[in-house]
Amino acid sequence: MPPRLQLLPFQWQRPSTLSTILTSFLHPQSRNAHILASLSDTPGAYNKRIRRGRGPASGKGKTSGRGHKGQKQHGKVPAGFNGGQTPDIVVHGERGGVNVHATDLAPINLDRIQSWIDQGRIDATRPITVRELTQSRCIHQPKEGVKLLGRGVEKDDHEIPISSVLKQPIHLVVSRASSAAIAAVEAAGGSVTTRFYTKSAIARIMRREMHPFVSMQWNKESASAGLLGTETGEQGALTEAMVMREMGFKYRLPDPTKRRDIEYYRDPAHRGYLSHLLKPLEGPSLFFRSPVERKSAAGVKKEKILPENRLW
Amino acid sequence: MPGSDAFRALKWLSRSSGGLLSGAETTTQRCLAKPLSRSMATEAQSPIDNLTREVPKPVWNPEPVKATTYSFPSMEPLRFVEYPRNHLLMPLRKDILHRAVVYEGDMTRQGTASTKWRDDVHGSGRKLYAQKGTGRARVGDKKSPIRRGGGVAFGPHPRDFSTGLPQKIYDQAWRIALSYRYKRGQLIIVDNEITLPEDATPHLITEIFKANRWGRPFGRSTLITDQPNESLFETVRQVGEHAKILDRRDVDVKDLLETGRLIIEKQALDRILSQHSKDLKNKPAKALY
Repeated sequence: MPPRLQLLPFQWQRPSTLSTILTSFLHPQSRNAHILASLSDTPGAYNKRIRRGRGPASGKGKTSGRGHKGQKQHGKVPAGFNGGQTPDIVVHGERGGVNVHATDLAPINLDRIQSWIDQGRIDATRPITVRELTQSRCIHQPKEGVKLLGRGVEKDDHEIPISSVLKQPIHLVVSRASSAAIAAVEAAGGSVTTRFYTKSAIARIMRREMHPFVSMQWNKESASAGLLGTETGEQGALTEAMVMREMGFKYRLPDPTKRRDIEYYRDPAHRGYLSHLLKPLEGPSLFFRSPVERKSAAGVKKEKILPENRLW
Repeated sequence: MPGSDAFRALKWLSRSSGGLLSGAETTTQRCLAKPLSRSMATEAQSPIDNLTREVPKPVWNPEPVKATTYSFPSMEPLRFVEYPRNHLLMPLRKDILHRAVVYEGDMTRQGTASTKWRDDVHGSGRKLYAQKGTGRARVGDKKSPIRRGGGVAFGPHPRDFSTGLPQKIYDQAWRIALSYRYKRGQLIIVDNEITLPEDATPHLITEIFKANRWGRPFGRSTLITDQPNESLFETVRQVGEHAKILDRRDVDVKDLLETGRLIIEKQALDRILSQHSKDLKNKPAKALY
């Protein structure tokens, strides 16, 4: 019993009889209801178990909620069973499916990044990579990479952006970026670089066992001077060998080996970190060679020397 | 026993900081002070001044909780220590305590009960006798669950009984349990370590319990030390009728609620509270550079 407040002064209280005084002296301790015996969850927090087949008053008494007669009363009916008629899945075949080759990327929008910078949770003067975004909980979970999207950019009727979400230049390294996001970041004076990540690489980046963006194929032309300037102080001094030697990383960040990945990061439109490998007039595709290369492979064409009386 | 209850209530009220008594005191002071400070001359306040004056924002600045610490064998009061109100003055939530106690109980279940199904029972799968012609009921093998010595149908098998509870709720439960003890005056904080002399017999600890009214007639006590101390633990175990002793790592929420009072080393209390106040630290995550 919890202590009760004695509000009345002692003179006004009902005088206690001799027996109560005596008992209080004989048994000095009061035996309270133990708290462990009175614990219970709030009645509204849980549902009472339905007790089936326990009489008509229970509401689930006579047929226990299973209706009358038949297979459903007595047991289970196979899933997809159509009463003996050819099942739907046989007539129409299976539908839907999961694309196991899809890359599961965490989306991140520019307005959210700006809000994180305003709150002081991300430093805008340093490169913003998957590590910073995850540590500051700007993205909930870096799945197999990060895709930058341009929400918050206001556009006029001709789809031309009229205002910027970003209040300062930022330098981002992400897996992929939408064209609107790239335009918005570059309009604010910053830069976007897209580079290849794998799931295990991101896990190691989060454990600081791997550099967040410098890999074997990364060189000083991979990203803008702004990104490298913020990281190293001097331009272009950041190479994979130096990073491994001086920063004490255990693992190398992998580069893409799949044709589709290589082609994505060779594309200057995506601001890919391999786009500097393109030769003049060459596209990102690995299938079509550059016109310059095609010419040299075909050999030097012989110039036809025609006699003066011939036109062709 | 209304008299003793009232006395305890009075003690409780006067002890808890910011309790009823201290509140009443300040009110009376304010009532007395106001007419005295008023000047005799009537001053006309300009209405503009009233409009532009900044209204002071109400600040809720509750005082921390004060608790007394004692030296162990002599139980002399040594000093006051302060704790935040969300550590030792949490409102009692029986539902949270219930969930924590059930969670701990589920986690403690061994779940090793195991029986043999007919495949696991040792023996042959031979048919006992022919299907037809014997005049007896048809049978399979000896290990059928309907035969004596056969397997057990639907018997228990080893499994994990543990259930989940959000860490924030469990942390709250710890502080609620300690607050419950504190509010009832059943949290006795020992400033130094709880130790006994090397050659101490159980008689000494019995006497300590008798002098302080901690023993069985008063609902037993739980002693909580910061580090395990084998000789002390052994001595206290011999007077287990009156007390039980645990080191900090062994304590559960249920242990805090079980006996009449807690006698806890200050260091153990501080560590328990700091371990179980993670839900109070709600700073947003920041990128580390």
